[in-house]
Amino acid sequence: MARVIGGIGASHAPSMENIYDAGEEVRESDEWQPLFGPFKQVAEWLEELKPDRLVVIYNDHMDEFFLNAYPTFALGVADTYPVADEGFGARPLPPVPGDSKLGWHIARSLVADEFDITICQELEVDHGVISPLPMVDFSEGESGWKIPIVPLAVNVILHPLPSPLRCWKLGQALRRAILSYEEDLSVVVVGTGGLSHQLTGPQFGRVEPEWDQKFMRILAEDPESLTAYKYEDLIKLGGTESVEVVNWLAMRGALPLDAKPLVEAYYAHRIMGYGLQTFEVSA
Amino acid sequence: MELTQDYLDRLDAVQPKNLPPTLDLFDEHTARKGMRLNKAAYSLKHEEQRALFAADEERWMEQFGLTTEEQELMRSRDWIGLWRSGMSIYVMVKLLGVTGTALPDVGRQMRESGGVDG
Repeated sequence: MARVIGGIGASHAPSMENIYDAGEEVRESDEWQPLFGPFKQVAEWLEELKPDRLVVIYNDHMDEFFLNAYPTFALGVADTYPVADEGFGARPLPPVPGDSKLGWHIARSLVADEFDITICQELEVDHGVISPLPMVDFSEGESGWKIPIVPLAVNVILHPLPSPLRCWKLGQALRRAILSYEEDLSVVVVGTGGLSHQLTGPQFGRVEPEWDQKFMRILAEDPESLTAYKYEDLIKLGGTESVEVVNWLAMRGALPLDAKPLVEAYYAHRIMGYGLQTFEVSA
Repeated sequence: MELTQDYLDRLDAVQPKNLPPTLDLFDEHTARKGMRLNKAAYSLKHEEQRALFAADEERWMEQFGLTTEEQELMRSRDWIGLWRSGMSIYVMVKLLGVTGTALPDVGRQMRESGGVDG
C-alpha cells in the first residue's frame, strides 16, 4: 500500500522562476541565498527520502482555468503535464511526468469522500507547480524531472473560495486516498503558495513577516486551529493574494498530526513573504 | 429548523466582509464587471494573440467586444483603471510582456491609487 512519507510547504512566484533560470551564481547571491539555500537543503533531504510520487496542491493563476468555468477543486489524472505559457512563452522545461493510475484512484477516493473534484485528463501547470518544482524534485543540472506528480488545484482566486476548514478536510481525504492505493509507493505531499503578498491597490507590495512566521509555527504545532480563520481574517493578516496559504493547510491535513518540521526558512523580500517548511513523518 | 446556526455562520463567512477600502476582493461583482477585459488579457497566453497584439492592437481588441471606456483604458495602459474595471491581476500580468511594462511600474500606480473604489 502507498504511504505518505513527508510534506513540503513552499511559496510559489514567477520571481523564483526568474532567479532559478538565471543560474547558480544568482541563486547563491547574497540577495537570494536566504531562499535558495534552504531549497537546496530540501533537495538533499528528498534525495535521501527518494519519494516515488509528489502530490502537489497548488493554485492556477488563469493559465489553465479561466473565469468562464472556474473549478473549486481540480485534479490531474494525466500521464504528462505540459508547462503553461503564462504570457511570455513557456519556460524551456520538459513536460512534468504524471501518474494517471494514481490520479484516477485519488479521483475515485475523493469523490467517495464527497469531494467532487473536476477531473482533468489534460492540464497545463503554471508557476503554482513549476516555480518550486525544480528545487524539490532534485532535478537540478539534469535533463528531465525525476518524480512523477499528481497536481491538485484549489480555487483561491474567484470568491467564494472553499473554506480553510474545507481545504484541511481535503488534505485528510487526500491522505485516505494515498493510504488506500494498492501499489507500494512513497508519496510526499506538497502545498504551494503564499505567504503574505498584496498585488493590488494602495497596499501593493505589503509583506507581513510576523504573521507569516506565526502561520508556519501554528501549521507545525496546531494546524487544525487554522481552520477557524476566515478568509476575511487571512486577507487582513497577509493580503488579498496570501489566501493561497490554504494550499499549505491542505498539505498539512494529509500528514499525521505529529509530523515534525525539519527544514524551515522564511525570507521577506521585495513584494513577497517567501516561506519554506518541510515535514518529517516517522515510519 | 433547516437553516441551522452552523449553516448560517458558514454562509456568512464565505463572503469576506468588513475589509478596509484598501483591500479588494475578486468576487461576483468583479468577475461580472471584468469579464470582457479578463477575456482579452487571458487570450495573451497564446502566442498568436501576442503576435496580433504587437502587429495591430486595435484589431486585437476588436475580438473581445470591449466598451469604449475599456478600450481607452487599454490604450492608455491605465493599470489602476483596468483593475477598477474588474481586470484580475493574474491576467493583467499577461499584458506586461506585450506592452513592455515592469511589474514594479504597475505597483507604483497601485500604491498611488488611494483605494479600491478610487
